[in-house]
Amino acid sequence: VRRLLPLLLVLSVGLCVTACPVWAQDAPKAPVASSQVKCPKCNHENRASAKFCVSCGAALNPANCPRCQAGISPDDKFCSQCGLDLAKGKAPVDGVTEPARGTQDPAIVEPHYPSLSVGGFGDTTFSGTGRGTSRYFNIGQQVLHFTSALGPKTHAFAELSFTPRSDAGTGTPPATGFNAEVERAIVRLDHSDQLKFSFGRYHTPINWWNTAFHHGLWLQTSISRPEMARFGGQFIPVHFIGALIEGALPTGMLNLNYNVGIGNGRGNVVSRGGDAGDANSELAWLVNLFARPEQVYGLQIGGSVYQDKIVLPNGGPQYRETILSGHLVLQKETPEVIAEYAHVDHKQVGGPTLKSEGYYVQVAYRLPGLYRTLKPYFRYEKMGIPTGEPIFTGVPCLRGSLFGVRYDIADYVAFKAEYRDFRRRPGPSITGWFGQVSYAF
Amino acid sequence: MAVCGLLAALPLSYPASAEAVGQRKDEKKGDVAVVVHPKVPVDDLRMGELQKFLLGDRQYWDSGKTRVTLLIRAPVAHERDVVLKKIYRMTEAQFRQYWIGKVFRAEASSGPKIVYSNESATELVSSLPGSIAFVEVSQVPKGIKILKIDGKAPGDKGYPLQ
Repeated sequence: VRRLLPLLLVLSVGLCVTACPVWAQDAPKAPVASSQVKCPKCNHENRASAKFCVSCGAALNPANCPRCQAGISPDDKFCSQCGLDLAKGKAPVDGVTEPARGTQDPAIVEPHYPSLSVGGFGDTTFSGTGRGTSRYFNIGQQVLHFTSALGPKTHAFAELSFTPRSDAGTGTPPATGFNAEVERAIVRLDHSDQLKFSFGRYHTPINWWNTAFHHGLWLQTSISRPEMARFGGQFIPVHFIGALIEGALPTGMLNLNYNVGIGNGRGNVVSRGGDAGDANSELAWLVNLFARPEQVYGLQIGGSVYQDKIVLPNGGPQYRETILSGHLVLQKETPEVIAEYAHVDHKQVGGPTLKSEGYYVQVAYRLPGLYRTLKPYFRYEKMGIPTGEPIFTGVPCLRGSLFGVRYDIADYVAFKAEYRDFRRRPGPSITGWFGQVSYAF
Repeated sequence: MAVCGLLAALPLSYPASAEAVGQRKDEKKGDVAVVVHPKVPVDDLRMGELQKFLLGDRQYWDSGKTRVTLLIRAPVAHERDVVLKKIYRMTEAQFRQYWIGKVFRAEASSGPKIVYSNESATELVSSLPGSIAFVEVSQVPKGIKILKIDGKAPGDKGYPLQ
């Protein structure tokens, strides 16, 4: 009865695909039929109780399914409880490749170089009706990221995005449907945990949201990014092209880490990094410190300084840009708290200093029990830009909040619904409902 | 009403997981030992240090000489449940999302390696320099190096990985 009950239950609810391995865990182990076990390496017949071959020392077949631990017979081709293809090492239930029975081949686990793997993110967003919005679907950025270990201490990372264009098909030659962009390209060389060097194009590590989520909309709880870190935004330099030194400082339980970088600052277009070179002769630099104290699991507190020189085009005035920022993040989901602040000074050479600032606080909570696929959230944000700011020409003064719920439909797919009420100056203000399906692959 | 019907039809819980279905309460499981390659230059770790290694925040032993290779049992294994609950403090879904994010931020080139049996775990730990795995203490063969956690060995009162 104990052997059949799980199978009957699984069949009755039609969830065999996903539930079988879990139920099977409690299944009693079937006896091994043979009184002797043949060594898979040298074919020597060993005692049934032997774990290793007495002839060649190779490990013998385990009597249990390597996936669900249910008992298996040497003649079984498939696990009777979870359906694992024992001969071919394939898992028919969820597509995860597993090794053939017997001990695991070290080659599967041992690192090999280069070891390219590819992942990605995508989303489709629905904008609802309301003030400042119209009703439409929008296919969001489709993002591919490539990562590869080039050696025991060397890694490469690249990220490509494909963004739909509203002017597709217009112009001569006609504009393409999507804009391709190299978002990041980084090669990192590790000396130790305390000292790591890297070069390339980064998400500037002076804003937590910008580095933690950026194009991975599935990773973030909400649909939208905070205004201070939005795609194509100007408030902080989203990308940084140059070199970084990073690592951990020997601070024990405080667990202090650092990033120090030098590189091209903003490009001629303020919202972009200087990919083909700096827009002026002075490089930008940054220092970022953050602590993940062991005493409070999931907590991260940090702050950073960024400085650059900005020269407005056509012989315009020069400015010294200084950004001070801080963040406090509780990365657990019960609750999740993200709070960030940034202060931007633009000091005109021989002139006045214009001060801008922005902050946001987001709180979310993963519901318990049967409702654990649901995660309600709320965010308040505010940005203040002085009138006549010459560099932040497209950055609004903003105050508003949003609330919503994230529903994890499956392991790698989330649906989010969100209501926003934002007052912007200059407009338009935004009030309305939004929906999004985001995924990782 | 239609919305209510739709909500009622939504699968509000993930597909069955070990945590959700629950292992049999009356089934006594042993302590989970932290086993490492014999040349790993530590004998005792604080729980906070172990968390840093498993979270990928520390990726090297002995000042960068040896890279850490994390070996974690596949889902539904008792050892995996203990590691996720006591060290990561995450659910399966949170664990997957954590490592996708870690790789996406270019902080690691891959997540932990998956092993499918305790025999494989102990065999790999013996052969792969810098490797660390988690095995129920009764299934650890002789000669395998076991780390103490917060000064306690498996079987000691107050050992954290139970």
